[in-house]
Amino acid sequence: MTDAQPPVVREGRIGLVPARFGDGMVGGAEIVLHQMAKRLQDRGWDVEILTTTAMNHHTWESELPAGESVSDDGLKVTRFPAVFQQTVERQTLEAAIMAGHPVSIADQQRWINSGMRSPELFHHLLDHGDDYRALIFTPYPSWIAYACSQLLPERSVLWTCLHDEPYAYLELFQPVFTGVAGLLLQTEPEHELAHRVAELGPHALVGCGVEIPQSYDPEGFRKRYGIEGRFLLYAGRREGAKGWEQLLDQLGRATERRDLPFTLVTMGGGDINAPEWFKDKVIDVGFLPDDERDNAFAAADAYIQPSKFEAFSRTVMEAWLAGTLVIANGGSEVVADHCARSGAGLVYEDELELEEALVFLAEAPEAAAEVAANGRAYVLDNYRWEVVLDKVEDALVRWTAV
Amino acid sequence: MVTPYAPLRDGIAAYAVQQVGALRAEGHDVEVLSNGPSAAHHHLDLTGLRGIGALAKRVRAYDKVIIQFHPDLFYPHPTTPDKHAAVSAALLAMAKASRHLEIVVHEIDYRLGQRKGLDAFAAKAFWRQVNTIVLHTAAERDDFVTSFGVKPERISLVAHGASFVKRTRADRATARRTLGIAPEAFVFLSIGFIQPHKGFDRAVRAFNGLAEHGCELHIVGSIRVDDPDFASYLGELEGLIETTNGAYLHSGYVSDELFDRWIVAADVVVLPYRNIWSSGVLERAMLYDRRVLLTAVGALAHQVGDRPLVTMVGGDAELMAAMRALIGQSDGDEFVSSPWELGDGDGPLRSRVQDELVARAQIRRGGRSAVSERGALVDRTAAASASRRSAALRRLPPLAPPPAVSGRRGASTFKRLVRRATAWEVDPVIHQVNALRDAVVQAIEEPRP
Repeated sequence: MTDAQPPVVREGRIGLVPARFGDGMVGGAEIVLHQMAKRLQDRGWDVEILTTTAMNHHTWESELPAGESVSDDGLKVTRFPAVFQQTVERQTLEAAIMAGHPVSIADQQRWINSGMRSPELFHHLLDHGDDYRALIFTPYPSWIAYACSQLLPERSVLWTCLHDEPYAYLELFQPVFTGVAGLLLQTEPEHELAHRVAELGPHALVGCGVEIPQSYDPEGFRKRYGIEGRFLLYAGRREGAKGWEQLLDQLGRATERRDLPFTLVTMGGGDINAPEWFKDKVIDVGFLPDDERDNAFAAADAYIQPSKFEAFSRTVMEAWLAGTLVIANGGSEVVADHCARSGAGLVYEDELELEEALVFLAEAPEAAAEVAANGRAYVLDNYRWEVVLDKVEDALVRWTAV
Repeated sequence: MVTPYAPLRDGIAAYAVQQVGALRAEGHDVEVLSNGPSAAHHHLDLTGLRGIGALAKRVRAYDKVIIQFHPDLFYPHPTTPDKHAAVSAALLAMAKASRHLEIVVHEIDYRLGQRKGLDAFAAKAFWRQVNTIVLHTAAERDDFVTSFGVKPERISLVAHGASFVKRTRADRATARRTLGIAPEAFVFLSIGFIQPHKGFDRAVRAFNGLAEHGCELHIVGSIRVDDPDFASYLGELEGLIETTNGAYLHSGYVSDELFDRWIVAADVVVLPYRNIWSSGVLERAMLYDRRVLLTAVGALAHQVGDRPLVTMVGGDAELMAAMRALIGQSDGDEFVSSPWELGDGDGPLRSRVQDELVARAQIRRGGRSAVSERGALVDRTAAASASRRSAALRRLPPLAPPPAVSGRRGASTFKRLVRRATAWEVDPVIHQVNALRDAVVQAIEEPRP
């Protein structure tokens, strides 16, 4: 007997629909969709990126021309204008939602429609939806994912990126979770959360692919960026929702109290906004090319993940591939689960736990490295792109038709 | 196209998306303007004179303007005859500015055109200026011509479901599994916005007693706008469902896909409207070949035509009978078919007749003490007794603010201003008083253990 699956028949066009797409963009879900698109194309699928002309998810300003183009790595990209105007109403509704106040469905609709919209993309799909076998949207609370998946639910697949956050419980998104062709989920905690928030339609736990670097050059990174001594690394968007500002406060106070030896190196986008007394300890290296990003992970003493809202956390995987310890906010069930299952990460629930984790790292670097060493095997076993793509293809073929 | 638009849970918005898709597929260059931010290319608050004025400035740029018409799109609520007339006049100016104006009528009150006064005059003038008026049935066309004096050749008839497309691929088994419905259940479904005129409470009352035959009734929908009357009705419906075995309320957001999935999961769609112009739900049910029970109100009879899967009923009793007939339990017919079986029973005939008519009246207004679990009228005396107990209350008409009119010069305007200034405080009290009255009537008439 054999378990061999029948070969996948790669017929029909797959449209991947991130709200933003392009080089230098910070955003885990969008980057993953880019990598997935490239790999699906390499496997023989007819792939197209449908996205907006915007790159900045705060201003949604149109930075790139609308129309068709080809990306550096050979993907067909079609861009549509993004429309956005920040309004007092949106800010008020956003605050109410985030505070967990009851918000009527009418107000939920006003909230989603007051965010970034792309009517031209919507109408492109209204006109040409039949040209696509499947449309993969991410993340679920974006207007594009919401509006367009409701337009063509039978062709819509969600790279869900579900977090345990107030948006997830909005009635507005119930039809998205229950009525599209399928949900792709990355982790077991996300899967469990999805079952908690909705009576799910078709769904599959596929994981998330991570690039495996061929080699690392930590010393070269230190030299090129002038970094001396031990450091902690944070990679990603520097904004409140990611726990950045809280991390600076907590880290600053812990450093002062315990005389910790670490600087904080950060890469990605967003203002630093460090407290005056901690500014000297923060080094911003900006956007890094992929190889330097990997080198930074290898050079760091630990990678800090302060976000409570993570659907997968690709950066945690990148740290583990580089053999680096992860210290993460335990408020993220997903990352806490990664840390527990891999045995390669520490989690903190408050400032004092963070402080103690850092003291451990400072005082017992060998033991910390021993903990971190478990991480690479965990990533290789679970999150290689080949494994993930097999599952994604299987789901696409089962859920959609040419 | 000027319309409420997706992503919005609104029947007209869903209709408009499908029509826009169809027009663009024919090669037309279509831009959409909605009455709020949406997937439309443009948006504008269209209510009142300012909104219509802004629209009038734009329409000349287009070869053709199509409006998906519902009075709420343009007419402020609440309104007065003068205000109504002013809005109609603004619409007339907008129509004159258009190169070609087509209006798809989703709802309209014909009584307006039959009245005398400035508001009727202005409304007629507006509708006569429209190049093409799209209606769904010949009866609607006749009524429209009679009421608004529009030339018949300006009216175009388009089948309500002409642009409708299926929104779900789920089969019955999948739909039921994802909605948590047992495969073997016989499912009645009432779906749509939860508002008094949709009459979902009538479906619940008619369903009473069918659970023992393996049936379920699912009421699915949400409140369309934040209105205390609608919220009160929802509360009433919740109370009714709590005491009705096998009836379930799914109050919440329903997307187009979910809407269709419910229809696929159902055996029979029950639409017990009290009044309505036309029904999109009926058309969606037809897309999936589902059986429909609906009340003969508005222009529904013309919309239904001779479609075999649709059964029209005249009232609550017939609805109850039809539901029972569909599951092979038609013994409620004795009640429905209305022979006055007074027999030789106790008491003078007049009393028995009186009890009977009181009981029947009670059922028509939704009372339950006279009805057995199988829907039959069982205890006329008890029903009459219950009705008598509530009579004093029912004699009181619903509370309403006094009309803001006066024979004295300027007094009407003053009263309207006072009314407007105090409405925020007075209206909730009025609403509460009426809700209390209805609740007390219901409580008095409830069967006693």
